[in-house]
Amino acid sequence: MMWLLAQEQAPVPTLGIFSAGSVIDFAIVLGLGVIIWVMVARARTGRKIPEIKKIAGLEAVDEAIGRATEMGRPVVFIPGILSVDNPQTLAAFGMVSHIARQCARYDTRFLALNCDPLPYAVIEEITRQAYLEEGRPDAFNPDDIRFLSAEQFAFTGAVIGIFERERPAANIMIGAFYAEAMMLAETGSFQGMIQIGGTAMTAQLPFFVAACDYSLIGEEIYAASAYLSKEPVMYGTVVAQDWLKIVLALIIVVGAVLATVSPDSTVLRDILGGY
Amino acid sequence: MRKEGPMILTVISSLVVVFSTYFFLGQKWNLMEPLNNWFQISYAIALALGFVNLTVIHVKYIQRKREGWFYSIVLLLCMYAYLVLGMIQTQNGLQFDWIYVNAMSPLSATMFSLVAFFITSAAYRAFRIRTKEATILLVCALFVMLGRAPIGDAIWGNWSAFVSKWVMGTLNVAGMRGINLGIAVGGFATALRIMLGLERAHIGGSGTQ
Repeated sequence: MMWLLAQEQAPVPTLGIFSAGSVIDFAIVLGLGVIIWVMVARARTGRKIPEIKKIAGLEAVDEAIGRATEMGRPVVFIPGILSVDNPQTLAAFGMVSHIARQCARYDTRFLALNCDPLPYAVIEEITRQAYLEEGRPDAFNPDDIRFLSAEQFAFTGAVIGIFERERPAANIMIGAFYAEAMMLAETGSFQGMIQIGGTAMTAQLPFFVAACDYSLIGEEIYAASAYLSKEPVMYGTVVAQDWLKIVLALIIVVGAVLATVSPDSTVLRDILGGY
Repeated sequence: MRKEGPMILTVISSLVVVFSTYFFLGQKWNLMEPLNNWFQISYAIALALGFVNLTVIHVKYIQRKREGWFYSIVLLLCMYAYLVLGMIQTQNGLQFDWIYVNAMSPLSATMFSLVAFFITSAAYRAFRIRTKEATILLVCALFVMLGRAPIGDAIWGNWSAFVSKWVMGTLNVAGMRGINLGIAVGGFATALRIMLGLERAHIGGSGTQ
């Protein structure tokens, strides 16, 4: 009890109105916000937006759906196993809409397999809306958007079972994956599916690279919805993202030079860590 | 309003989180805790909704005698029996705990153990020498494996451990940190896109503005 009281009464160290150590973080947020705003403004006024490189994994999405259409077999989408509070799951939502629309357009069965009840509800709504926007509300089957289990390996077992029974032609996995990444991707590979795997879980990336036809590495999943939308405004936000990366890379170079020239120097650490 | 409502709610919630993370105006303005509580409440409601949904779907399967309807009976029996047991005994109940420890845990461990076999088959494909890159991958992997197995020490002494440590600590870490930097910025940009209302996939629709 005393400990709790001490916790409640402990003064929170601040710098003005800022929480301790958050000034630099806030400056970065603000900086990215400004760059995005500049890019969005440029796109809205019709000015040129720098090109972004082609992402093979995203270019292959339509190819995968096309192949499934030709074979008359379903397309499976798995948005990882984490909930909506994870940015990777939010990135997956951006792709669902595009895939569901394409499936509705070509009358291909679309299966979304979920491990968490919240993404399940969101994906059902996104898919319903996509079918509606494509003028095919009758083709939408709510039974194809499935919540399988919130237990990691029960979910994995269920997905492997669906792979064996329904024999999809394409498997698209975008989101946060753990140990099940290898099992799902390998099973898909045994089945001869065209597979696109993307995650920001660095420990699982090698498995996707080894077992999938196309991989989206880390940040590429966050650019997916903007890339697939082909809207200049959304492209602008990806360019802003690249600019911020350049700034951070420059800071790393400065840090490396300082650490080499003067190993005892704490200038950069004091600036970045002290505020 | 069907789309604007959730959008306004998203913007307000994210502003509250940003404000509470970067600024401090006294304990009463710290709104993170109530927001986290709301998330937990929403999650619990979604679970309850899933429970009802699962019941409705499987009762339908049983009524229509669809293929595999027998498994629907097993599912409903297990689900309701475990729910009732949990409500009677709470989470520390002897039988409630026994079922989890002796059924769920071994089943999960069995599935997890399969990863080893999947990794072996994937590694075989990845390490097949077809290109220059695959050759480099194979050589690095051989050094790392030898450095981490006793046979490596027996063949090359400390050298195998040294090379393994260098590959993992220098080459691997450099690559991973580069990827992590991109991931951090990408996540950040996605959050800003949602906050600014540019990306609307989570509320249905085309996914963009």
